[in-house]
Amino acid sequence: MTTGLTGTDLLALSPFITLTGVILVLMMAIAFARHLGLTCLIAALGLLVTLANILWVAIFVDPQLVTPLIIVDPYALLFSGLIVIASFFICLLAYNYHQQRGGHQEEFTLLLLLATLGGVTLAHSAHFGSFILGLELLGISLYAMISYPTQGLLSLEAALKYLILSGVSSAFILFGIAFLFATTGTLSFAEMADANINPTAVQGGVQGGVQGSVQGSESLRLYMLIGGSMILAGVGFKLSLVPFHMWTPDVYEGAPAPTTAFLATVSKGGIFAVLLRFFVSVDGYQYQTILDGLFWVALLSIFLGNLLAVMQSNIKRLLAYSSIAHLGYLMVAFLAAAEIGGRQLAIEASLVFLIAYFTTTVGAFGVVCIMSRKLAARDTDQLPDYEGLFWNRPLLAAFFAAMLLSLAGIPLTLGFIGKFYIFAVAVDSELWALLVAVIIGSAIGLFYYLRVIFTMTKRSSVTEGIAIPKAGGWSLVAVTLILIGLGVYPAPVIEWVSAIARTIS
Amino acid sequence: MTSMYEFVFLVPLVPLLGFFILFCSLGNLPKQAVALVGVGSVAIAAMLVLFIGVEFLAQTNPIPVTATFYTWMNVAGFTPGVSFRIDGLSLTMMFVITGVGLLIHIYSALFMLDDADYSRFFSYMNLFVAAMLLLVLADNLLLLFVGWEGVGLCSYLLVGFWHHDAANGAAARKAFVVTRVGDTAMALGLFLLFLHLGTLDIQALMQQAKVTWQVGDATVTIACLLLLGGAVGKSAQLPLQTWLPDAMAGPTPVSALIHAATMVTAGVYLIARTHELFLLSPIALNTVAVIGAATLLMAAFTALTQHDIKRILAYSTISQIGYMFLALGVGAWSSGIFHLMTHAFFKALLFLGAGAVIFSLHHEHDIFKMGGLRKHLPIAFWSFIIGSAALAALPLTSGFYSKDAILLTAFDSAWHGQELWAAGLLGAFLTSIYSFRLVFIVFFGEVKTQPEAPAGWLMAVPLVILCGLALGGGLLTPPLQWVFPASAPVAHAGMVPMLTLGLPIAGLLIAGLLYLWPRADLSWLTSRGLGKSLFQFWFSHWAMDWLYDRLLVTPYKTIAAWNRKDIIDRIYNGIANVTWFLHDFSTQSQTGQLRTYAVIMVVGLVLVGVIALGVIQP
Repeated sequence: MTTGLTGTDLLALSPFITLTGVILVLMMAIAFARHLGLTCLIAALGLLVTLANILWVAIFVDPQLVTPLIIVDPYALLFSGLIVIASFFICLLAYNYHQQRGGHQEEFTLLLLLATLGGVTLAHSAHFGSFILGLELLGISLYAMISYPTQGLLSLEAALKYLILSGVSSAFILFGIAFLFATTGTLSFAEMADANINPTAVQGGVQGGVQGSVQGSESLRLYMLIGGSMILAGVGFKLSLVPFHMWTPDVYEGAPAPTTAFLATVSKGGIFAVLLRFFVSVDGYQYQTILDGLFWVALLSIFLGNLLAVMQSNIKRLLAYSSIAHLGYLMVAFLAAAEIGGRQLAIEASLVFLIAYFTTTVGAFGVVCIMSRKLAARDTDQLPDYEGLFWNRPLLAAFFAAMLLSLAGIPLTLGFIGKFYIFAVAVDSELWALLVAVIIGSAIGLFYYLRVIFTMTKRSSVTEGIAIPKAGGWSLVAVTLILIGLGVYPAPVIEWVSAIARTIS
Repeated sequence: MTSMYEFVFLVPLVPLLGFFILFCSLGNLPKQAVALVGVGSVAIAAMLVLFIGVEFLAQTNPIPVTATFYTWMNVAGFTPGVSFRIDGLSLTMMFVITGVGLLIHIYSALFMLDDADYSRFFSYMNLFVAAMLLLVLADNLLLLFVGWEGVGLCSYLLVGFWHHDAANGAAARKAFVVTRVGDTAMALGLFLLFLHLGTLDIQALMQQAKVTWQVGDATVTIACLLLLGGAVGKSAQLPLQTWLPDAMAGPTPVSALIHAATMVTAGVYLIARTHELFLLSPIALNTVAVIGAATLLMAAFTALTQHDIKRILAYSTISQIGYMFLALGVGAWSSGIFHLMTHAFFKALLFLGAGAVIFSLHHEHDIFKMGGLRKHLPIAFWSFIIGSAALAALPLTSGFYSKDAILLTAFDSAWHGQELWAAGLLGAFLTSIYSFRLVFIVFFGEVKTQPEAPAGWLMAVPLVILCGLALGGGLLTPPLQWVFPASAPVAHAGMVPMLTLGLPIAGLLIAGLLYLWPRADLSWLTSRGLGKSLFQFWFSHWAMDWLYDRLLVTPYKTIAAWNRKDIIDRIYNGIANVTWFLHDFSTQSQTGQLRTYAVIMVVGLVLVGVIALGVIQP
């Protein structure tokens, strides 16, 4: 047992320290000068410094467990990097979004950084303690970010729904953790893996007829399964997987566009990081019944997400449904990791898919942010609001089209690479039913993404005179370049991610 | 030491970049800038090819190189990428494409100057050059197919370049649809090869094929015939040759570059590139020879009767590619590619010369409205004299060397060699007649339309250079001895070489007799009875269009009209309706009510728990 933090521990933790430092500086800055530009500048620079710090740690610090709570390894650093980059772009987009609205919006940036810290904590957690810490830091910041009253009652309604349902899901998770703790006597993933009951041993026990131990291990197994499914239900809520997805469209619609972008990316990415790490390290894949449950969750998410989006005329809701479907695709890769032989490829697939999902989602909501700069009762999220965008703002429309095509999985975008990986692992692990679902889902998806693109090509004056601000505009340029650049030449990312997948599989 | 090979990827990339610049400028660049980008990009590509060629040929025993430009991704053993193959064959093709392409681009800079869509023209031309270079460089049949379709697209865009005239649009559509038939066959061929050999990398495929199949295997024959389908479509050979004469609706430089010098020879290139496959299938190889012989004769007869200057040249192109197919079919691989090269020189020369004539005569195409242009258009005149001499394979011109080699190898061919040789010889005789018919009618006799002054030096320089190449091109031997199996040296004495040498000269004399001697009049022969019918039959290119119209177009239109409410559409509409229904059904769950959401969550938890505990096993 370590008694205190050593020097290397502190170095390994330095991204946390940097980010927390930035948060403190920002808090002070807001206290002394209420200035949106300055606030966002500090936050953006702070995020860049954090990113540099993460890169430094990734290169120079050996993977290690810092206290039982936090693990610093390439996998965690990849997720932290992704989260920080997403927050950076969202911060710039949020600046433009808030610029022309009255009132004091500086705290939004502060909340954004706090939520980012929550996300980073999730990415690094190797223990249920840090998991809950990150989860709640993220969640509580999000309640406030969602309720930011840029859209009046709509935002409040969304925040209330998210608050209550998220409370329910946290209750599920905590209850589940209690069950696992009761069985294994630990909260650390690593120790839980050691204490994990081997189901084949239980089977053998039944046949052997050793009554007492059978009773004991049978009931322990029961606790594990109940606890596991409660945690999965709670996590399923955060990832908006069917049947825990009901909140998604309402909250996506009601939240201010930058919050939605954050909710769709950082929040889901962070949670997924923990889920995958937990499952791989305690080998949750040995529980076939849990996998059966997840199979249905993935299948229904793909079908229902796509079906709900088909005739949707609100862009934010459409993207909400599409995110349900996308998380369904992600679960296919997650399930494909059940086979030991295909595990590395499946993890690689999840990571690449998430990178693609992050990039595309930030870009798509970025366009919504830029379209929604006017002070209005609601964000510019109705489909007819986008008519004629190709003629009036061709560049913005081209960015949006690139994002939508990436979501649809069209080649030369990063989205295609991600989708291709999902196909590859589904074939590799012989998940035929899910493969069929992914194919059908993609076909339906193409319809509603193209519908948005067609709307933009209509001749109309609705979109005349939309100004493209500098910060947000350049963010979109960067995101689009990443999207297409990595779509055309994904080899470096693939190599890097593949090396990371090797370390944890 | 850095090798020029490392820059090979720039060869197609620079013209592609030119295309992007011109395309993205949306016609807002001044014409000088357009010409600079359009011509400059091809010039850079040509320079690079020159450097690569020098380095390649400087070796005593040139080694083919495969340069991997980039790998797209590497997922679960699937590694699509872009690799280029540098060997004697691709080098020869690159040389022709960039060299002749550059001359034609320079020529076009002036020829198209008055066109409002100057920028659009050069953007398509650059895209064409890029796609064609990709086609010949590709080390993989799939990548080759990308280039193949790319040149098809450019051909479509450029044939219909003046799309305000509906006839041009129809011609472009015809070219596109007819070649599509061939492309479909080719795609099927690729699927078949991939299915059996598991790769489309050309080198690996050839190795694999030799191991997998015996000579004469049915599968390899089918695969070769499917590839041949693609080749005859692109190269305008029987039975898919009908599109090429109509493709002359495009601007004349397009006809010169795409529909004479480069794209239409892609089929020849394809067969040459996959020759090891064809060697496994004697049936396919013989089919190639027969198609070549039949096409060259049919097109030569048709060319005799035409009176549109560009259509005469178009039929002569079909006929000359027929010679290349004949060469491939009898195993004279090097001679076929050699003829491809010399044909590119003299046919580009003839088309550009025709362009100069048309340019000076206000877009007049009918040769019977021309005449006596010898004095007024000296450069065009000498271009035609030299080009026609090479086309007719008169001794000492480039065409003589290549055609002579083809005919002599054909004579030695084990399979019906003498028949094939006789067909080729008759074709050569006819070629000579129709080429000089064109020269004598257009440039001799009395002046019928008064020409304007000849065009400027930008159009003259390429003509002069091409004259040189058409004359002396026979001395440039393509470095093909390392690509193709060596063929036995052909040595004949007696009648055979005499005939190959003499018949073209006889054709020239006959043409002179008929069209220079005022008292010769053939109208008694062509205006009555059998003569008239035969003349019209040839004029309509053996009624091929009529036949296809009756056989394919009309029935297709009838079926399409009859099936106006597409039966197959019902399946898709059905799927759409089901999706809609499911959408409507599922949206009802989104009530917006918090209590519903909470209940569904709890029910979900219970279901997941029940499944996890194994109580129900779905």
